This record gives sequence, structure tokens and C-alpha cells, in this order.
Amino acid sequence: MSVYLLPVLILLIFVYAKSKKVNVYNSFINGAKQSVGIVVSIFPYLVTIMIMVQFIKISGLASLLAKLVSPLFNLIGIPTELCELVLLKPFSGNGSLAILNDIFTTYGVDSYIGRSASVIVGSCDTVFYVTTLYCSQTKVKKLLYAIPVALIATLAGAILSCLFCRIM
Amino acid sequence: MNKIWFWLIITSICILLYLNPEIVLPTMMQASEDTLKLCLSLCAIYSVWMGILQVMEDSGINKKLSKLLSPFTKKIFGNVDEVTNELLCMNISCNILGMGGAATPLGMKAMQRLDDGSGKANRPMIMLIIFASTSMQILPTTVIGLRITAGSESASNIILPTIIVAILTTFIGIGLALIIEKLKKGKKKTK
Repeated sequence: MSVYLLPVLILLIFVYAKSKKVNVYNSFINGAKQSVGIVVSIFPYLVTIMIMVQFIKISGLASLLAKLVSPLFNLIGIPTELCELVLLKPFSGNGSLAILNDIFTTYGVDSYIGRSASVIVGSCDTVFYVTTLYCSQTKVKKLLYAIPVALIATLAGAILSCLFCRIM
Repeated sequence: MNKIWFWLIITSICILLYLNPEIVLPTMMQASEDTLKLCLSLCAIYSVWMGILQVMEDSGINKKLSKLLSPFTKKIFGNVDEVTNELLCMNISCNILGMGGAATPLGMKAMQRLDDGSGKANRPMIMLIIFASTSMQILPTTVIGLRITAGSESASNIILPTIIVAILTTFIGIGLALIIEKLKKGKKKTK
């Protein structure tokens, strides 16, 4: 079923546009044209955040922090094996996918840990990555409570993921 | 953001100076190179999605969609102008449909329009950030793909919990933000 969702949607959009007498070819070009500009303008922001992600991974800071918070995380229902994933998830999507793969090979895909990890990765986006991208086009310096709230929601998501995987 | 970035970088470099000082600069270079590769693939992804989105906009699908969703967006984002509202609605729909590649450029455009130049994030901007970072997604395609490659017997049995958790986290995020907004308003009144 899900294989057809996006292809059919795209087909429908094109056919509908044609029926509205839109020049689909020119329209598509006009849209695609804007992508280069966007990517060029987000590049410096991405580099900056990626350097940080790389550093906290290589220096072992991420796993060190994971060890520190694991007693606290255990208390709210997150197993020790998942702490590093939960900590790194807000910073890097690719990084957390790599950890997810590690978890699959270490603990098994269909184990409780493997399933919880999948749900954690699937249910939330990477807070800092999204925020960096979205703010890169604006003059905003002060984000007020946006990041804390997003992080709390992500953490709540991790707790819920572990909970639901236990029940379901 | 600023402070978190600064302190994490400083601590990491200090640890690396102690463990393996030779690796500091190569790490930065590597990160930069990885980003360049990421940007190339982003450019490819955005080109496709922004092409499709432009077709949708020109054919008036955007307007219809935003009419459908505006009772909902008005509640969360407050009053915004029509074009921004359209962008927000499209951003949300793309996020839900799992077209993250399409959602990001839309979100960035919306942010640009919402920016009031004061340097502070205003309410709709904060809501958008929270919404995007707790994004709801109907089909966690990447994770399912990874599970299949890892040899899972039931790769898709995580779909239902993922959807439930995704919806709940979005509600928690938006709910918290709404509570904070209410508290702020209350404070202003008592002053």
C-alpha cells in the first residue's frame, strides 16, 4: 500500500495541474530553480552544527553524558542501551540512524530495545537541525522557549516509545 | 543555541586535547566535507520537491489545502497573512505525508515571512519550530527501510506505535507552548 502513496500523489498533482491549464513543465523549472539558492544559504549553518555533532561523537562526550544520565533515564523508563540514542537524536539525524543500526546489530532488530529505538527515531525530528535550518533565513537570535519545549517533547516521546513498545 | 554550541565544542576540544590532539582539525574538515555532500544531496532533493510544490501552487492546490486547514492553523499560529498561512499549511501537510524534503524549504520561507526583524522569535515562529521538530509522520519510511536491511521479521510492526508517539509528542510540544503563552499573558496583565 504505502509504496503507492507518494507516486500516485505526484501523478494526481500533475494531472490536476494540467486540467487547470497550468504549464507543468515551466512550473516545475521555476520551483526547482530556487533550490540552489536555499542550499547555498543554509550551508554555513549546517557546517557549524555538523562540526559540533562530529566533535561530541569523536571526543566520547556523547557516550560520557549518556552514562551520566542513564540512572535518571532508567527512572523514567528509558533503558540504558538507548540513552546515547536519545541524547544524540536532537542533534543529528544521520548520527542517530548510525546508532540505530548499531543497536540493531547488537541487540537484534525485533528485540524490545530494537523496536523502541526504531520508534524513537521514527517519531521525532532532529530538534537542533530543524531549528538551525528554519532560523538560517531570518534575523532571529533569541528563540525564547522554543528549544526547551521541543526538547521536553522529544524526551517525552522517548519515554512514550519505550512504554508503547512494552505494551504492543 | 549559541551557548549550547559553544560549551559542547569547548568541552569536546578539551577532551580531545587530552586524548588525541592530532584529530581536532581533521575532524572539523571532515565535518565540513560531510556537510558539503549532504548539501549536494539536499540540493537534489529540494529541486525535485520544490518543482512539484511550484506545480501545486500554480494549480491552486495550495489555496484549497490552506482553506481546509486554516481553522486548525489559526488556533496554533494565531493570525498570520494569507500567503504565510498557505506556506504553514503546506509545511504541515508535507510533514505529515513524510515529505520532509519538501517541508523544509516551505518552513524556511514561512519563517522568513514571519520574521519581524526584532531579533526575537515571535509566537508563530516558535510554534512552527516546535511543530517541525516534533513532526508527525504517517510513514516512518527511513526507519522501516533500515529495519528491512537489518533482517527484521516484522519490519513494519513499529508503524502503529510510531504514529501514536509522533502525534502525542506534537500535542505535548504545542500544549506546553500554549501554556507558556497563557502564563506570559497572565503576567503582563498583573503588571
